[in-house]
Amino acid sequence: MKQRPTPSFPSNQSTVNRPDGNASDLVARWQAGDVDAFADLYRRHAARIFALTCRMSGSTDAGEDLMQEVFLQAHRKIHGFKGDSAIGTWLYRLAINHCLDFVRSRQVKMAKATDSLDRDDATAPAAAHDSPVERIDLERAIRLLPPGCREAFVLHDVEGYEHREIAQMLGIAEGTSKSQVFKARLKLRAVLA
Amino acid sequence: MTAIHPDGVTLNDYVDEALPAKERETVDAHLSTCAECRELVAGLRSVLMAVSALKPVEPPRAAWARIEKTIRSENTKTRAPRWPWLAAAAVLVLATFGGLKLAGVWRPPSPSPAAIVPASDAEAVEAELLQAEQHYQNAITGLERIARDEKGSLDPQTASTLEKNLSVVDQAISESRAALKSQPGSEPAQQSLLENFKTKIALLQDTVALINEMRKGNEAGGDSRRVTGLKQKGT
Repeated sequence: MKQRPTPSFPSNQSTVNRPDGNASDLVARWQAGDVDAFADLYRRHAARIFALTCRMSGSTDAGEDLMQEVFLQAHRKIHGFKGDSAIGTWLYRLAINHCLDFVRSRQVKMAKATDSLDRDDATAPAAAHDSPVERIDLERAIRLLPPGCREAFVLHDVEGYEHREIAQMLGIAEGTSKSQVFKARLKLRAVLA
Repeated sequence: MTAIHPDGVTLNDYVDEALPAKERETVDAHLSTCAECRELVAGLRSVLMAVSALKPVEPPRAAWARIEKTIRSENTKTRAPRWPWLAAAAVLVLATFGGLKLAGVWRPPSPSPAAIVPASDAEAVEAELLQAEQHYQNAITGLERIARDEKGSLDPQTASTLEKNLSVVDQAISESRAALKSQPGSEPAQQSLLENFKTKIALLQDTVALINEMRKGNEAGGDSRRVTGLKQKGT
């Protein structure tokens, strides 16, 4: 049997602003079982989805697991993709739904959040991990936000959802979404100051 | 000045430009005299500016390798040789339903699954059902014999899985029978029983097909020993 060469790993070039180009051809090939086409689409969209999963989960490890699950789920569902939206949008929706599932399951499990900015004295959350001269970056600060606060913030300020939509997605009141985002901004403001 | 400070969410909405015009004017007026709130608003805006500069995050190189490994492994499982057993299954389905049609006992499912057969027809339907059941049972008996006799060709794990699945189907058949006993005229119960028979036949067909595949793979000239003649055994 002809052995297809293993596709090289996607380059580290930015994937987000790349034009969709022949995306529909790639999707058709992916639907026909062409793993190379899948790899190409992965290269185009993985960075955005990885950023989302890391920010929503608050951890690089969990973000990587989530991203892999998203792409595996996409591979299993690609036959159902009808092209009603761009493939990137479809992948992004899968990722958002996957993140929300993750958040909901964690909400059930988690009674307390440790090592987060939720502590009263946690105005500089990374100070314990960094040298005094090292300045915390926003990416890490977002990950250290308390769960609940972080998801609302990421969905609103990073992903651009409305509070009304976030309320539905997270099963909270719209006012709660607003106050969570405010709380997150206050904490991040302290970090960035 | 002793002006009341707007609450945080209001200032947040102000920063997001989500306040109605009148409220916005009120906040503007307050900010013109309150350094504390101006500072807070500036801080909130600095967060938004920083967020707008966030970049996508490249995943580790190993992530794709893991995804690829998983899907290739899944593809391999999915691509387990299926054509021979599909052909065998087709023959069996045709044989089974051919027999039933010839006997005039097979009827397509009713469009109204909740329908209950009138009592006056119940006996006739019951007789038809018995006949259909007999046909299915004949097919099942033949397949079961083959599967039992040749089970040694399968690896123990596969054989065990198939046995488990068969016991689940048998349980479903028993339950359908019990439902029919309590409601002899219930068409859904009848259909459920027939569906469960079909499921069992399909499962046995898979078993026989797997046996064929194992023989084909394990023995030279295995085709001569392939299980055939199911039609005469089943119908």
